[in-house]
Amino acid sequence: MRIILASLCVWLTAAVCGWAMPLTYALNESESRVGFEVPFGPDQITGTMPVRSADIALDFERPANSRISVVLDVGNAQANFPFATQALRGPRVLDASQFPDISFVSNTIEVRADAPSQALLTGDITIRGVTRPITLDAELFRPAGRALGEREQLFVRLEGAVSRAAFGASGWDDLVGDEVSLNLMLRIDLVE
Amino acid sequence: MSARNTDVSFGWVTRTLHWAMAFGVLAMLGFGSYIARMEVGMSNIWMFGVHKSIGIVLFALLAVRIVWHFVSPVPESLPSGVGWKDRAAVWVHRAFYVLLIVVPLSGWIGSGATGLDVLVFNRVTLPPLAPVSEAWEEAAFAVHFVATKLLALCVVLHIAGAVMRKDGTMARMVRGA
Ligand code: HEM
Repeated sequence: MRIILASLCVWLTAAVCGWAMPLTYALNESESRVGFEVPFGPDQITGTMPVRSADIALDFERPANSRISVVLDVGNAQANFPFATQALRGPRVLDASQFPDISFVSNTIEVRADAPSQALLTGDITIRGVTRPITLDAELFRPAGRALGEREQLFVRLEGAVSRAAFGASGWDDLVGDEVSLNLMLRIDLVE
Repeated sequence: MSARNTDVSFGWVTRTLHWAMAFGVLAMLGFGSYIARMEVGMSNIWMFGVHKSIGIVLFALLAVRIVWHFVSPVPESLPSGVGWKDRAAVWVHRAFYVLLIVVPLSGWIGSGATGLDVLVFNRVTLPPLAPVSEAWEEAAFAVHFVATKLLALCVVLHIAGAVMRKDGTMARMVRGA
């Protein structure tokens, strides 16, 4: 009798939690990237930064249970001309030798009522060791050719902006603007 | 045409150095003021590289000039007969040598203190002469600013003195004798 009860419990727990269990995804680093853009006189400095790692769990039944955290690789940041790359990684901007990572951790996820593939993500971003709240627009995509409802491979796009001054990354603020827009595209694969 | 200077004439080496540096310095005074005030963007950031490259060439030409004047001393200035004018001419000449060291050197120091490579001719990276520091950068460019204004003043005095005197001074720098 006890054995039957115990197995019933396990089954019940699994059944109840199973629905609410977020699906865990692994990052595909080589197909993920972060783009950034910052005003430079009449132009823009643009560039990319590799994504070092990400911890992503998506709960399609209860999106608020999802979590997204991402770590970016500052030392390999690349801008559209060599001086900008050097300035970006150097001590006056991101100071990659002291602070090799930029990290983001989500706090809340709120799916848009009119567009279920889009959400507003709040969380904390840490740049140069300074942590500040940030709000990102998030959107989920399926790779082209995937059937509706397939969740094995997805793209997550995150968009937002940060002020350089808020993180002490304000080098060359006489030439380069303060607001940096960020655009992350993460390719993620479901972990079985 | 003699390469060497004599007691009364300038050889072509000295004259070439003089005029090359004269045009270079004049152009750089204008060009430097322009790049320091323009709105910097993708389309004009290369101008800083050109300014640094020409500035380093002028610095090198000054070194050549100093060495050459040890090898082949320049003639004495022609006396004008007016004591203060002669003294002013000598001091302006001395100031040129000091400023033509201080100006490019302060530019080089300030550029290196930004932490960015001091790249000349798009390929040669000069070593930084100062630690990466905003204090060094600001001080060096303040020196660069003041010294270039003094240099401009010397250029004005020098040209005024040269064109005003009618004793063959100009002719011997242009034609040699
Ligand atoms: C004989 C040589 C040179 C001359 C006559 C010269 C002249 C000038 C002048 C007139 C300015 C404008 C200053 C102002 O009004 O704000 C300037 C700016 C500047 N110079 Fe030079 N320069 C020389 C060499 C150099 C060298 C060798 C470097 C670097 C390796 C350099 C780097 C700079 C930089 C970066 C600025 C801009 C500073 C700013 O944006 O405030 N210069 N220069």
